Amino acid sequence: MKLRTDFPDRQTMIDYLREQFPSAVARSPEVASLRGGRRAAEELLRQIDPARYAATRNRMNGAVTRLSAYLRHGILSLAEVRLVALQRGGARAEKLVNELGWRDYWQRVYRRVGAGIWQDRESGKTGWAPRDYATSLPPEIPEGRSGLACMDHFAQELRQTGYLHNHARMWIAAWVVHFRRIRWQAGAAWFLEHLLDGDPASNNLSWQWVAGTFSTKPYYFNRENLERFTDGVHCRNCRLARSGCPFEGTYEDLHVRLFPRVPMPEGGRR
Amino acid sequence: MSEPLIWIHGDCLDPRSPALRRWPTARRLFVFDDAILDRYRVSFKRIVFLYESLLEIEGIEIHRGSTVPVLLAAAAETGATRLVTIESVAPGFRRTVRRLEIEGPLTVEVVPPDPFVALSRGEDDRLDLKRFSRYWQVVKGRALSLNRSLDELI
Repeated sequence: MKLRTDFPDRQTMIDYLREQFPSAVARSPEVASLRGGRRAAEELLRQIDPARYAATRNRMNGAVTRLSAYLRHGILSLAEVRLVALQRGGARAEKLVNELGWRDYWQRVYRRVGAGIWQDRESGKTGWAPRDYATSLPPEIPEGRSGLACMDHFAQELRQTGYLHNHARMWIAAWVVHFRRIRWQAGAAWFLEHLLDGDPASNNLSWQWVAGTFSTKPYYFNRENLERFTDGVHCRNCRLARSGCPFEGTYEDLHVRLFPRVPMPEGGRR
Repeated sequence: MSEPLIWIHGDCLDPRSPALRRWPTARRLFVFDDAILDRYRVSFKRIVFLYESLLEIEGIEIHRGSTVPVLLAAAAETGATRLVTIESVAPGFRRTVRRLEIEGPLTVEVVPPDPFVALSRGEDDRLDLKRFSRYWQVVKGRALSLNRSLDELI
């Protein structure tokens, strides 16, 4: 069936698509504010600031590029973003180019292993066997009703905007896999449903990087880390801030709690 | 020689992709494939983003259905014996191309996207992908060199 392509405005297009894709609307009806298309991508490309990116990218309000959805769908190429970054930032563009390299790397792995991106690439390093992990997400996680202000905020942001800052993705993944002990595949599928930049390779292999099935050790974080890069905004409104925060503690404390069967690796903290 | 059909898929929504530049007037189609939408439980906002991106491609036809039959019907209607598309690393892409070649039969030309860094075939095959650090060690010099980037574009 051929679909319409003549729309006087965005809202008319959205109304038409709601009629055409009722099952997707039933799953989640939200529309993101990020605009599709090359024009929107070029506007963001004009704004990239490689030096500020390098200095602030781990912060929630850092100068990230927001180009991921356009790169994922081939609206922009890695080659042209790399060129613009180098022209604008010179040597200070190294971090941004390195991060573009991660996408190239994940794509190369996908080319080699294909559907194997859905299976553990290596045995885990957490001391837990695959059977120790739950196979599905409890509904309160994607619905943002876990009671943890930070994670609930990120889950709702994902649903509303189709985007999450990379650091938030890492925190959620570590929480789901290590603190809640749920298989990374369940979290990966959840992200692919919502992320406008959802790419099976970058997404799944990054979840595996956090899980420790495609890295030398599992990634995890503590409250101090999350508070630092979010300016503590979530903890201020969290009913678990005073007691019951699962992320409270040193990295050593958390390692013992999360991975009691394995010794803390050399250089432990990450 | 008649113009090919251009298959636009979710990994190549650039209105200036090499295939569209080379055949600016060729018929071009995108198919929303229900099997894929269901498999990934694709949310509505992702469909809107894709659709909005597609509308910037001059002359795009947007279809809904099963990719291979839709493309084959369009080729038969146009009398096209060739199909051009941009390469994707997804295994589903390779399966679709094989089916088009067998069931068409169509001659499928897969155009590679501009590479992040240019590697020779041998380098590509030998690349150690066990860890990002090993990959980066090989490509870093080229990735960070502006002169080489400009050379590659010329």
